[in-house]
Amino acid sequence: MDPTIVINEKVDIVPIFRGHASEIMLCVPWKMKYGIREIVFTKFGMRHPTAKGKRMIHVFDVSDGVNDYRIEFDAERLIWTLVSMVEGTS
Amino acid sequence: MYGINKEEALIMHIDLNSAFATAEQQAHPSLRGKPMGVTNRISKECCVIAASYEAKAIGIKVGMRRTEAMAICPTFILLETDPPKYNAVYQKLIKIMLTYSDKIKMKSIDEGIIDFHGMEHILNGRTLEDIGYEIKQRVKDEIGDWMKINVGIGTNRFLAKEAAGWHKPDGLDKIDHTNLISYYKDRELTDLSGIAERYGARLNSYGIMTAMDFLKAPEYMLKKQVFKSINGTYWYQRLRGYEMDDHETSLGMVGRQWVVKDPSDKDEYLLPCLSFLCETTGMKLRYREVEARGVAVWVTYQNGEYWHQRRMHKSTFYTNQEIYRRALELFNKRPHGIVRTMGIYTYMLTTSQVSQLSMFDDITKVRNITKAVDEINDYYGTFTVYAGTSLEGKKIIKQKIPFGGTEYFELLLKSG
Repeated sequence: MDPTIVINEKVDIVPIFRGHASEIMLCVPWKMKYGIREIVFTKFGMRHPTAKGKRMIHVFDVSDGVNDYRIEFDAERLIWTLVSMVEGTS
Repeated sequence: MYGINKEEALIMHIDLNSAFATAEQQAHPSLRGKPMGVTNRISKECCVIAASYEAKAIGIKVGMRRTEAMAICPTFILLETDPPKYNAVYQKLIKIMLTYSDKIKMKSIDEGIIDFHGMEHILNGRTLEDIGYEIKQRVKDEIGDWMKINVGIGTNRFLAKEAAGWHKPDGLDKIDHTNLISYYKDRELTDLSGIAERYGARLNSYGIMTAMDFLKAPEYMLKKQVFKSINGTYWYQRLRGYEMDDHETSLGMVGRQWVVKDPSDKDEYLLPCLSFLCETTGMKLRYREVEARGVAVWVTYQNGEYWHQRRMHKSTFYTNQEIYRRALELFNKRPHGIVRTMGIYTYMLTTSQVSQLSMFDDITKVRNITKAVDEINDYYGTFTVYAGTSLEGKKIIKQKIPFGGTEYFELLLKSG
């Protein structure tokens, strides 16, 4: 069964931009406000670029230690979107 | 004794373990250590196109239907493919490989070759095994800590690939003249890369039952009796570690096939899908900057029967509409029956003549409209503008992940 829950909602994100880090860790989302919840990401999965037409989108796969979140950053419109989540088992 | 190549092993084969499944586990920490897999589009009867090692360990195989996998493991997790994610992994792997040699060749999206011939100076006294372990660590550091690769080292591409598959997952092995015979002693014929059931049966019919028998077989016998072609000599040399596969293959055909989502005999269901297959074929042709003279359509039926028809035309063609019109002529001649798989391919390919001026207005118009549509799709994403005949087909058919060559990967990503 596919455990992905599609959300597609704009969210508030606190990212970290590192001056000195490996390429994969240069920019990572740290916290997210989704509804009334504040979620702190403790595990970084992967970042990869993709495109919507000519618009550059950065996709971040992160985890709070229980659930996995797919967050997209639209580099042209400066919008963070929580695309989906996968509920884990703690 | 066997005329084995005693050169230094300088070919490295790198193979990402269960590439798509591992990439998903990298992205989803909650899925690590669990039996999971990837499919193109989740449906009741969809197939597992990549399975994690945890899934493979309990008997779930690539190609298995979802229902079969769920019967083995009710908690089996199946995700839909995410091509941009796999492309990111692929690009990072290429980037790592290129830091060791400019002579790299990607064999597919999850495996590639580094040729170290002429690069001995950059090794600085290190062995290829040292480099292999370094690449393994870099893959973890630069792609992700869950990513694992197999590294194989050999005197030719064949032995390097064999070595990469020797100890999966996360292995590193070398096959050269010192251990080649002991390697073959433990192998069945069909364990060898490139020897599947059909070749295996052919070799068996000449008394060649094991990999060692294959090695011992005289070149004359392989060439004149078993393979009845120069392929026999190639295999004779390949098994001994001589390079037979360092060549570029020319583009012979371009096409697309599709496993019909809901097998049907209805034209109103099949024709939009055929149109969509023709659209993607046209895009591929123009992407490779070629035109075709021949078109072929094939179909397999629910009852196991196969039908195929092809036709060569006097002039070349490259637009989606021209391909569809020609393919439709053939498709309409198919015998009645429930279609399970269908495909189209174009052949007799020549370099594109699009840049040449045409004497005829209508040809120029076709070129201009095709160019304009391609430019719009390039800018806004593939299938922003497409034929009305493909409307329903596009809803049904999902773009597939290229398992073989990676030539069309960029094209696929544009449709993301």
